[in-house]
Amino acid sequence: MYENNDPSTLAYVGKSVLRKDTNEKLTGTATYVSDMVLPGMLYAQVKKSPHARARIVKVDTSKAKALAGVRAVLVGDDLDYRIGLYIVDKNILAKGEVRHYGEAVAAVAATSLEIARKAVDLIDVEYEVMQPVLNHMDALKADAVLVHPDLGSYEFIEAAFTPVPKTNIANWTKLRKGDVEAGFAEAAYVVEREYDNPSVQHVPMETHVAIVKWGARDKITIWSSAQSPFTVRNLFCHTFALPLGNVRVIVPAVGGGFGGKAGIHLEPLVACLSQKAGGLPVKLQASREEEFSLLPCRSALTYRIKTGVAQDGKIIAQKMEMFWDAGAYADYAVNVTRASGYSASGPYEIPNAWVDAYTVYTNKPYGTAYRGFGHVEFHWGIERHMELVARTIGMDPLEFRRRNTLHPGSITLTGEKITSHTGDVVACMEAVARSIGYGKLTAAEKNRELVTGRKIGKGIALLQKAPAMPSNTATAAVIKMNSDGSVTVNIGLTEIGQGSTTALAQIVAERLGFDIGNVHVMVDKDTDSDPYDWQTVASKGLIMSGNACILACEDLLRKGYAVASHVLKACVEDLAHDGDNVYVRHDTENCIPWKHIAIGYAYPDGKGIGGPLIGVGSYIAQGLSNLDKQTGQGKPALDWTFGAHGIICEVDPVTGEYAVRKVASAFDVGKVVNPSLLRGQIVGGMIQGLGTATCEGYIYDDAGHLLNPSFTDNKIPTARDLPMEIETIVVENSQIDGPYGARGVAEHPMISVAPALGNAIQSAVDADLAHMPIRFEDVWRAMHDKHPIDNWITKTPAGSCRSDPAARIHTPDAAISP
Amino acid sequence: MRINVTVNGIAYEKDVLENKTLLRFLREDLGLTGTKEGCGAGECGACTVFFDGKTVNSCMVLAVEANEGTVETIEGESTGGMLSALQEAFDRHHAVQCGFCTAGMIMSARELIHHTPHPTVEQIQEGLEGNFCRCTGYEQIIEAILDVTGGYTAKEELIHV
Amino acid sequence: MIHQFSYTAPTELTDLLTLLETAGSGAKLLAGGTDLLVNIRNGLVKPSTVVDVKRIPEAHAIMSDNTKGLRIGWAVTINDILKNSEIASSYQLLQTCAHDLASYQVRNRATVVGNIVNASPCSDMAPALLCLDASIEIASSKAYRTVPVRQFFTGVKRTILEPDEMVIGITIPIQSKGTKGKYRKLKRIQGHDLGIIGVAVAQVGDHLRIGVSSAAPTPVATGALPLDISESEAIAAVDALISPISDVRCTKEYRRFMVSEFTRRLLAEVRS
Repeated sequence: MYENNDPSTLAYVGKSVLRKDTNEKLTGTATYVSDMVLPGMLYAQVKKSPHARARIVKVDTSKAKALAGVRAVLVGDDLDYRIGLYIVDKNILAKGEVRHYGEAVAAVAATSLEIARKAVDLIDVEYEVMQPVLNHMDALKADAVLVHPDLGSYEFIEAAFTPVPKTNIANWTKLRKGDVEAGFAEAAYVVEREYDNPSVQHVPMETHVAIVKWGARDKITIWSSAQSPFTVRNLFCHTFALPLGNVRVIVPAVGGGFGGKAGIHLEPLVACLSQKAGGLPVKLQASREEEFSLLPCRSALTYRIKTGVAQDGKIIAQKMEMFWDAGAYADYAVNVTRASGYSASGPYEIPNAWVDAYTVYTNKPYGTAYRGFGHVEFHWGIERHMELVARTIGMDPLEFRRRNTLHPGSITLTGEKITSHTGDVVACMEAVARSIGYGKLTAAEKNRELVTGRKIGKGIALLQKAPAMPSNTATAAVIKMNSDGSVTVNIGLTEIGQGSTTALAQIVAERLGFDIGNVHVMVDKDTDSDPYDWQTVASKGLIMSGNACILACEDLLRKGYAVASHVLKACVEDLAHDGDNVYVRHDTENCIPWKHIAIGYAYPDGKGIGGPLIGVGSYIAQGLSNLDKQTGQGKPALDWTFGAHGIICEVDPVTGEYAVRKVASAFDVGKVVNPSLLRGQIVGGMIQGLGTATCEGYIYDDAGHLLNPSFTDNKIPTARDLPMEIETIVVENSQIDGPYGARGVAEHPMISVAPALGNAIQSAVDADLAHMPIRFEDVWRAMHDKHPIDNWITKTPAGSCRSDPAARIHTPDAAISP
Repeated sequence: MRINVTVNGIAYEKDVLENKTLLRFLREDLGLTGTKEGCGAGECGACTVFFDGKTVNSCMVLAVEANEGTVETIEGESTGGMLSALQEAFDRHHAVQCGFCTAGMIMSARELIHHTPHPTVEQIQEGLEGNFCRCTGYEQIIEAILDVTGGYTAKEELIHV
Repeated sequence: MIHQFSYTAPTELTDLLTLLETAGSGAKLLAGGTDLLVNIRNGLVKPSTVVDVKRIPEAHAIMSDNTKGLRIGWAVTINDILKNSEIASSYQLLQTCAHDLASYQVRNRATVVGNIVNASPCSDMAPALLCLDASIEIASSKAYRTVPVRQFFTGVKRTILEPDEMVIGITIPIQSKGTKGKYRKLKRIQGHDLGIIGVAVAQVGDHLRIGVSSAAPTPVATGALPLDISESEAIAAVDALISPISDVRCTKEYRRFMVSEFTRRLLAEVRS
């Protein structure tokens, strides 16, 4: 819904309108589920497995049940429900076997948190510890322990996923375009390498929390810190075989999500406890340690890329193999695999492409959606690889990228054609390259090197992402006029801090022509009264809910004009309006205030016409298609957002310590709706990207125990971890079908920060890193050609952390294919 | 144990278990839920309050330690429904996204400004080191504090190319 | 926390010491709480009584005079150290190390004495105290004694204290006044973090001392080294003291390398 608006005519879109939800947040009066207390509410706690893989021999809950104040105790065998977004592979409580460190084995609801904790301590579990499979590459071997021996019997979404029974492969996504072998044969150079990322945690400041009340006749109310109330309802009802009308999901303020709260997590367990406790509301809040291991994380990835390049630097063929370490349950990971599969090459044109992307089960905390949905992880590989290929063929990395990036007329991996309004990755790249003075050092920078003894390096990396969502994803908006002429807007999209409440208010105010002070977008979500929205994920909120809002505005205006035309005795076509009145265009004194028709108009003699004015807009993604399961061809992308980061870093050539001096980030956003909100997303996402690049990652021992389940050793960026300089750059090539030309950019700022840093560090001290995160010690080892340490599983068991080493290392000489 | 503690200017007398943290006492016994728990281990700062005039992680203070003491929380930051200059600055500069870190962040910001009335960017960063934010990337929070202490220079938010 | 305990806050030192004597190991002293409460929360420590040591006025005293040097009371916080002008001018190495300890909120509560009694190998204050040749004043209801700080740490999180003893003061001798020193702590991020390694190099009067944390079971320090010691000899002296391990933060190779490198650089800085 792009109207070619001259920016000077826009009242709100494009302006840094202040957020509409800050009053409560600033004064400590916003209600989060963490803050909620209901009458009679019980507190739940969970007994968790200390083992990565074990048979549950016996669970003795007798002492827990006998403790005064305990109202419900549940173990896996009490419950006969299975859950799974895409593959139904998970029990609510472990049954028979535990599959990861931190998995829930039993749960208790009691009258106080202390009693619940004591009760959990009183539960005795006898385990028969079994050898876990921890490394995903080991999990692919023929004799590997099977995490899900019954994979073949699980229900799953056939249209999108391909599990391989009797293996640890939860999903195998394929993409075949052209003929890669012919391409490699034709290529002048073939470069192959492997890249690694560990698992990381979202670390929302508010941990997962849910309150559930299982009322009479199976009428259930769920309060959850969640991103997707309708998904919670849907999956809940599917799991418990209940009609949707039985379940109401309420989401108040949410203290951060980042994908970790996109699905269904604590709600089913809490519901079962409430049912067991006779319907009293039960609250379960994860501790920070539970957030790290009971709740899911982001899958780890090993990405093997083989690229064939012509003499002139054009990529002819590329083979991409992704091995996703999804942990013990499939959750979102299979879809991350699929969505990454179709985007696997990054923003480059690959005439002949082959992708095999595997979701691999291991006995570790499992992966769920995380900002970027796989793209942060695989862009590390792609953008480090592009750098490697450029160096191998002796071409400047920027020039190499110019030759190969997508541009109007290019065909993507899935066969989609890029147009002039898809977005301009080259503009983003050139902007950040200029911003950091890529390719050379200024006199001041050279002087700084002399003074400090540190080396300055510059690197860039590109990115792309489209929303990973079903091809028929839809949403709606309802705009109700109040009797004072103001409007209340209900949407199913959740405010998780990203500012959707404000941006959508701007769009509504703009389209209606109303004062934004009279537009109230509701923060709290309620599946009983809000219109459906698929999920608050995928950077699709602004574009889809924005369009739905515009459609709802148009509907509201149409309905209002219909009433006004009667009242004013004028044709609808002759009417116009402003924020206060509807009037006849050629006779402006003939007008009626909105507030007089808002809830029904009364003629002077008392007769009534019209009724409450309610505008409804539904928007569905248009023209998308499923991907062919064999070839991966199709049209999965609602919109592509492209971007780039440029980083200047400074590295100590002796110790490997480094600092980030500048980050320049550019995105083609189509249309800036709110500059301040956008900058908040860009900087916030970029810093989260720096965190994943520099210090975040799960560390396990060789028995699968998570060694860093708290902030002590799982660090995230603090206020001191900012680059010295941050530049936020926007390109605006309108998304024709986006609201005012806007497209999404919520996830994108996090993508490709890591490889930009890796490229910058390499440019500084020639440390060639293929694994993340980039710790000082890793730089030191790379500089001094020391053996890289297996960071993420210490004291490796039999089998290695990396697959066939021969596939990993390529010097430029060895890279040339015979 | 019976404790007497003044919170945001109001005197309370309450019986509390010795093992209850000041954080939980504020949230559960006094209903002041503005202060949040982010980790319970003194790392994230979401629970920052003033205790006897000094900012502390209230998850690492026992309620009984506050006997005869004074506490100030986010609920005391605004007066008579009017936001403080600091809160207004946070609003103006979009320093709030999900809001969960905000209460602790404002307490730390207030303390910083109190002992360093005109902080540099580096001093602000050090002052806020103990308050995690996962949403904003801190930059707009820093600008809000610079603004309220007279050190802010407006610049173009976004560069358009 | 689950674990329940009783709480008491004596207002006289003699009462506090008597409590320690009668309660023995069932009592835990509560100063800043930033270690104790974490340990109780994690179930590592289960005291029957928590004894608040902060309600005794002399606990908070920082005293300095020209014969005895500097004396720090048992409840003096890290921020108290950072705000003290006498320490700033005469015992600055204490502030240099204190500055890097955790976050501002934690420094408002954490105490110097608590930091050394916790005896983590990563202690931030220990390198300074070792270089400054501090003495630790220990009291029980029966006796007082003083031990040099280099004897205070006996193992990982272990000290020379008996169950009925507490540290009531730390003294920096007057000979250490005016010490020039530098401290560098290697962290994983710029923000607050435990030390991966920490090195303090101090010029105390006519000799040098080098203190190291996070590279041995306890914080360690060299003895008095000659001011003109060669770089390689200084590094060798430090290298002989440390026995770094590999853990989730770092490998022992990098720890050893960085201790040497920090020693080299700080030596140059101190001597310049």
